[in-house]
Amino acid sequence: MRFADDNPNGPPARPTDSPGGPLLRLEGVSKTFGGVQALKDISFEVPSGTVMGLIGPNGAGKTTLFNLISGIFAPDGGRILYGGTDIGGRPTHRLVADGIARTFQNVELFESLTAAENVMVGQYVRTRCGFWGAWLRGPGARREERDSQAAAAEWLRFVGLAGEARTPSGELPFGWQRLLEIARALASRPRLLLLDEPAAGLNAVETEQLGRLILEIRGRGITILLVEHDMSLTMEVCDRIVVLDRGEKLAEGTPREIQTNVDVLSAYLGPDVGAPSRQQAR
Amino acid sequence: MVRPSLHNLVPYAFFVVLVGSAGLWVDNPYYFQILSMIGIHALLALALNLLMGYAGQISLGHAAFYGIGAYASALLSARYGLSPWLALPCAMLAAGLVALVVGYPTLKLSGYYLGMGTLGIGMIVFIVFREWSSVTGGASGFVGIPPLGLGGRALLDVRSYYFLVWAVVLLALCGSQRLIRSRVGRALRSIHDSEAAARAVGIPTSRLKLQVFVLSAVMSAVAGFLYAHMVGFISPDTFSFIVSVKLVTMVVIGGMASIWGALLGAALLTLLPEVLHAFAEFEMVVYGLILMTVMIFLPQGLTRGILDIYALRRRQSERAARPAD
Amino acid sequence: MQEILQYLFSGLTNGAIYAVIALGFSILFNATELINFAHGEFVMLGALCLVTLWSGLHLPLPLALLLSAAAVGGVGFLFQRLAIHPVRKPDHIVLVIITVGASIFFRGLGMLLWGKDAFAVPSFTRKASVEVAGAVLTSQSLVIIGTVGVLALVLHFFFRRTLTGKAMEACAISRRAAWLTGIPAQGMVLLAFVLSAVIGGLGGLIIAPITMCSYDMGTVLGLKGFCAAMLGGLGSLWGAVLGGLLLGVLESLSVGLINSGLKDATAFLLLLMILYVRPSGLLGNRSVQRF
Repeated sequence: MRFADDNPNGPPARPTDSPGGPLLRLEGVSKTFGGVQALKDISFEVPSGTVMGLIGPNGAGKTTLFNLISGIFAPDGGRILYGGTDIGGRPTHRLVADGIARTFQNVELFESLTAAENVMVGQYVRTRCGFWGAWLRGPGARREERDSQAAAAEWLRFVGLAGEARTPSGELPFGWQRLLEIARALASRPRLLLLDEPAAGLNAVETEQLGRLILEIRGRGITILLVEHDMSLTMEVCDRIVVLDRGEKLAEGTPREIQTNVDVLSAYLGPDVGAPSRQQAR
Repeated sequence: MVRPSLHNLVPYAFFVVLVGSAGLWVDNPYYFQILSMIGIHALLALALNLLMGYAGQISLGHAAFYGIGAYASALLSARYGLSPWLALPCAMLAAGLVALVVGYPTLKLSGYYLGMGTLGIGMIVFIVFREWSSVTGGASGFVGIPPLGLGGRALLDVRSYYFLVWAVVLLALCGSQRLIRSRVGRALRSIHDSEAAARAVGIPTSRLKLQVFVLSAVMSAVAGFLYAHMVGFISPDTFSFIVSVKLVTMVVIGGMASIWGALLGAALLTLLPEVLHAFAEFEMVVYGLILMTVMIFLPQGLTRGILDIYALRRRQSERAARPAD
Repeated sequence: MQEILQYLFSGLTNGAIYAVIALGFSILFNATELINFAHGEFVMLGALCLVTLWSGLHLPLPLALLLSAAAVGGVGFLFQRLAIHPVRKPDHIVLVIITVGASIFFRGLGMLLWGKDAFAVPSFTRKASVEVAGAVLTSQSLVIIGTVGVLALVLHFFFRRTLTGKAMEACAISRRAAWLTGIPAQGMVLLAFVLSAVIGGLGGLIIAPITMCSYDMGTVLGLKGFCAAMLGGLGSLWGAVLGGLLLGVLESLSVGLINSGLKDATAFLLLLMILYVRPSGLLGNRSVQRF
């Protein structure tokens, strides 16, 4: 709630970092689950204002890494630096207030709430009306509620769901639910957005729209960390890519570098694949 | 949403007219007692509905807070001579504090386990009422609770008491409605749908659950206060496990997450035993049968099913009217 | 010392009854994830059937026991078919309220059939009580404790060794998966209901000689049996036995050594303690937090 309190509706105050420097920096992050090493000594940086891809075969530890960055688990070792401060183990709701929002691999919407209400819940950390405010409904509370509604409408328009404000989110088609989840995450005005397989379950047209949306989000100055299995989408929108395999960092580079990296190809296609071929990597 | 449109005011107008005309027309102390009892149950159902219907946290021990409110107010006013109106905030505080202390560990549980934890709390409080006879009067009850007066002298007659109870209910209705349509209310409903996702979008779920639990307990304590000073006598049986279950039933039968449903449920379950007196020995059998039948065939509760159909219709017609873009 | 031993004996006797009731809760929860708030009423029905058949109609004891247990099983069968099976929305809260409705219904039925009076039933055996170090262990206590032991062993054998028992366990783990492998899941649920009811009735049969039997005896017994099941770990067979005995002994000791007002509170204090510290129970291994 640190940033929420001094500036409820504006963008979150910026943690001290140099512009263009890393917004997120992982230093030797490790996580073990009951003897199984899910992540081992992971280090990389996410520069501010970029889209960073995180790829790897199933079980590589991508979602675990997301859960560490978004505060669902605490890392066993290493540091997660966000804007220069170590956030490892900080509770999720604090992190959202600090500007880290996420979506889920299996869409997690509030199904009995309407689309607009979902987005308004996303603004929770940027609004402040409590129990007393709700009962007394003074001018401040009313203004905040109006602003909140307007912002929700705006975010729905941004993701292309302007007409569905009053539809219960559980009744939306799956592809739209994904978009709504992104709108809800954006409503918390994040500086860092974690997208966990946003294209899973989408058809080709929807995936293309999603790609454009991701670039538009980046255009608003929001840094994105993207886990995705759809390679053509990943290659198209990411500025840099980190490859994980069995809990370890395998490679890092631009999409072009990753596409021709022999280690990456053998991780995906097996060690026998000799000559790298662009077609197969796609 | 916030727009105080006509659409939202209609039920309130209906409510005020109904309560007002009943209060002016009825002329029988016994009926007034029953109508006031409906109001007290409605208050309890509203309190439990905030916790259960909206935040999705079941409580099988809510009669405990009802009882704490009643006993605290009775003790302070009858034994220590405090004015009931001063005893009320103390009773609310007592219930709130107990809720805070027991809610902290209990609300970490979910689903069945939360139900069991609250059941345990309800039973323990009930046993305290029954066994701590030097303070509570034990199983035979607590007698001599002073009636409520205004300005120190004039005591409220049954009609005024009826209006007092229903004024409190109206206040609770407005308060509940404002709350659930606010930022906090949306957050509570999101916890109901998925606690994990609510946490992930930045809602401090544990704190919010505890807050609504305390609020619900304080509202129940007000109901206890109203009951104690209306009847003048309280005994542990009024706050037993069965009563906790009846409260849950009111919420569910009326329809969860519907404040008007809570009112309907309270009215039905208060009137049912009165009607069933005609069945004499068959009362329990018939009561049990009705409970089961409603739940089997209308699991959404009475109001919810109807409202859902209405909302669906409205959306469909809206969608049809909207020009294709 | 002698006094404590006496408390221990009476605690074990009561505890054995809680254990039997807890077993009924656990078996049903395992197969259906349902907590049956009417379970205590099966205990009441068992005891009152015995009152009628044995004390009233003077049937031979074994026949009376058998018929009573069968009658309660029949009630369980009807309950599942008529009240649980037709539920459209098998939501936890809805099911809980249905079982609460059933509990009120059964209590009302008990009152209609047997009236509001309480009945006493003689002990099953004429054998004299046993004396251990000055403390008395009645023959009925021995019958009760023996019943629990035998029942637990039989159930253990049933779930571990027989095909039906294993199929029931499979349904407990995943009803859908069990159904896909050809196990008649619906039949298993019905069987679990009947089994649970019979065991509840059995609890009523063995408790009948040491208590007053009346239409409202079931509720508290049911709640305490439930506490015992939670204590040992809901769904765990030996957990139910352990939880029941532990609850009985602690309850008896707290009455004897501290205050008789604590008798009923013990069970619920233990319930809260176990929920706060180890919600899966002493012997349970199910995860409590589910997303």
